[in-house]
Amino acid sequence: MIDEGRLKILTDGAKYDVSCSSSGSRRKNEKDGLGNASFGGICHSFAQDGRCISLLKILMSNDCVFDCRYCPNRRSADVQRATVTPEEVCELTMDFYRRNYIEGLFLSSAVYKNPDYAMELLLKTVFLLRTKYKFNGYIHLKGIPHADKRLIEQSAKLVDRMSYNVELPKEESLKLLAPQKTKESILGPMNLLANGKKEFALERKNRTGITARKGTEKYLPAGQTTQMIVGATPETDGQILRLSQAMYRKFDLKRVYYSSYLPVVSDPILPNETVGLLREHRLYQADWLMRFYGFSSEEISPLDENLPMEYDPKCAWALRNMQFFPIEVNTASVEELLRVPGIGAKGAYKIISARKSCALSFEHLKKMRIVLKRAKHFITASGKFYGEKKQENVKFHLMLAERQENAKQLDFFTLLPSQAEEKNQILLSATQRDKEFLLNSSPQIASSVLSGQL
Amino acid sequence: MRRIYRIDKSLESFFTAVFYAYNDKNAYLTSAEIFQPELEDTIFRLESESDKAERVQRTIYKTDPKAKREIERILRSNHFEREQIAFEYLKLVIKHGKSARERLTISAVRRAMDEVKKVGHEVHRLHGFLRFQECENGVYYGACSPDNDILELLIPHFVARFTNQAFIIHDVKRGKAVLYNGEKYLVVPAKNASFHLTEREKSVVALWKKYYHTVAIPKRKNLRLMKNYMPVRYWKYMCEKDADDLR
Repeated sequence: MIDEGRLKILTDGAKYDVSCSSSGSRRKNEKDGLGNASFGGICHSFAQDGRCISLLKILMSNDCVFDCRYCPNRRSADVQRATVTPEEVCELTMDFYRRNYIEGLFLSSAVYKNPDYAMELLLKTVFLLRTKYKFNGYIHLKGIPHADKRLIEQSAKLVDRMSYNVELPKEESLKLLAPQKTKESILGPMNLLANGKKEFALERKNRTGITARKGTEKYLPAGQTTQMIVGATPETDGQILRLSQAMYRKFDLKRVYYSSYLPVVSDPILPNETVGLLREHRLYQADWLMRFYGFSSEEISPLDENLPMEYDPKCAWALRNMQFFPIEVNTASVEELLRVPGIGAKGAYKIISARKSCALSFEHLKKMRIVLKRAKHFITASGKFYGEKKQENVKFHLMLAERQENAKQLDFFTLLPSQAEEKNQILLSATQRDKEFLLNSSPQIASSVLSGQL
Repeated sequence: MRRIYRIDKSLESFFTAVFYAYNDKNAYLTSAEIFQPELEDTIFRLESESDKAERVQRTIYKTDPKAKREIERILRSNHFEREQIAFEYLKLVIKHGKSARERLTISAVRRAMDEVKKVGHEVHRLHGFLRFQECENGVYYGACSPDNDILELLIPHFVARFTNQAFIIHDVKRGKAVLYNGEKYLVVPAKNASFHLTEREKSVVALWKKYYHTVAIPKRKNLRLMKNYMPVRYWKYMCEKDADDLR
C-alpha cells in the first residue's frame, strides 16, 4: 500500500492540472468487472477551493528530466521526489473506487528518466487496471510529449480520455519557458489521436452500418482535452481564443481548460503576481460561447485585445451589435435567442418550447425564471419593451448587473489584483450622471441606488 | 370549499385517489399525517383499490411513459403538497399529452417540474456523495439521510457499477435499507446497523483524507463555493469531512 508521504508529494505535483471532469464516456461494466462510466460525469466531493473531486488525480512520479520554468516539479526545483509503482496506483484506485470516493483515475507523470520510459509506466498501469483488476471506471491519461507513437496509440485504446497540455499559446513562449518541449511534440500526438479516433469511428461505421453513439467508441470515448496557462506570457485573450477555436475544429477537442497563472515558483522571467480569476472566468465564458452558442472567436474578441473585465463577452458582443436588437421572444429563432445577453442555453430552449402553447409576456418569462436583468434591454415580449430606452445607458446597466453579482461573490473578487483599478475602469466608461452614483460607493450601495432603495 | 382525499404514501393509494378525484374540481390530495383542514372542507379517507390504481397508471403510461416516471418522482419529494402537485400535473398530462411538461407558463407545470428536478438532483448528488465502508464480512456499508425519499432510485446506478460487490445502502432517516448480495437486491426496514470494519478500512480512509486535503489549491480557497456544491447536511456521512469541518 502506498504511504501518505508519497501520496501527498504526488498529489501536490498533479493538482495544478485543472481538468476534473469525468464525463463523456459510456463505458459499461463487464460481468466480472468493477465500475462503469457515467456520461454526464459525477462529482464525488468538493475540495476547499470549491473544485470538484471526481478523479484520483495523481502523478506516477514527480522526478522530472525536463526543466519547464513554470512547473513546480522541474528538474532544477528543490522539492521532495517520489515515484510509485503501477501496482500501487492500481491498488489505491481500486480501494477508493470500491468506497465510492472517486469516479476513476486521472494519471499523469513527470518525464521520469526519459519520455518513453515514463509513458511506458503509464501504459503499464492502465493496462493492469483494465486487465488484471478488471476496472471499467473512468481513466484520464495525460500524454508525455516526445513519447513513442505506438505507446500513445495503445494507451488510447484502454483509456477514456487523453490530454496533452498546450500550456502556452505561442511557440516563442514555449521555447522560452519550456525549452525541452516543442510545438510538434504536443500538437503532433493530439493530431494523431484525433485521426485515430476518426479512423476507428469510420471503420466501425463501415462494419456495422451505424454511427456509434457518442461515448461508446472503443478509442478514447471521451475524446481529448488540453490546458493553457493564462497570464505567464504576454498573449492576448484574442490570440488564445483563436488557438482554442482552431483546436476545437481541427482536433475535435472536448474542452480547453484555462488556468490563470499562479506563481508557485519564483523565476526572473515569470511574473510575480497572479492575473486574477476574473480573466480566467471571462475566457471560460468566451469558450462556452464558441462551443454552445454558435459564436466564432472573431466575433468575440479582436485579435490583439483582451476580453473586457466589466461585463461578460456576450454583453460586449451585443453592445457592439445593437442593430440586431431588440428581438421578439415569441418569433426569434433559437440562434437569435442564444445571442441575447442573460439568456442561456437552457433559457432559450425553455422559451422555444413554452411559446408553442401561448404567447409569452414579460410576466411569463419572469415566472419561468428567465433572468431578465440583462436580457430586458435586448428583447421585446409580445411587442413590449421594458429595458433602458437610451442605448448609451445600456452599457452602464450591464456593468451594474455584473457588479451586483460580484458583490454577492466577494470571495471571488478578493482574488482580484486590485479592486481600485477595476473601479477606475468602470468610472472611465460611465457617463457623467452615472459617475456620481459610482463614486465613493460600494457595489451594494451602487446597486441600491439603482433599484431606488436609497 | 375543498374535498380532502386523505391517502397513505403508497403509489397505489395515490392512483386510487386520482381515479375518484379526477373530475372533482375541489379535490385536494394529501398524505400528511397531521393535516389542518380549513372551514367547510370535507374529508375522505380512501382505501386503495388495486384495479382502479392499475387503470390510471396504464392510462398515463400510454399517454406519456416519461410523465409516469415524473409523477413517481414528484411523489418521492419532501414537499408537503407533493400529492396535490402530482395530481394537478397528471390532469394536465391527460389533457395536453406529451407537451404538458413544456407548458411552463402554467404554474402547476412549473411546480411539478421543480419537484422532478429537485428529486433528480438529489439522486445525482448521492451517486457521488455516498460513502461505503468495508466490513469484515466483505459487505460494503453506506449510510445516508437524503431530503427526499430516493433510496430506491439509487439502486440501478450502484448495482450497475458494483455488480460483484455486496453492499448495503442505509437510509437512516426513513429507517430502510437496500441489501445487495452480488446477484439480487432487496429493500428492507432497518432501524440500526451494527458492523465491524476491516483493518484496511482505517488506512484507506486516512489516505483519502490526506488526498482530499492535499488536492485543494491553498491560494484559491473558497469555502462558500464548496458549500454551495456540497451542502453541509451531506457531510455527516462523508469521511473526508470530519468533526473539525462541521464546526
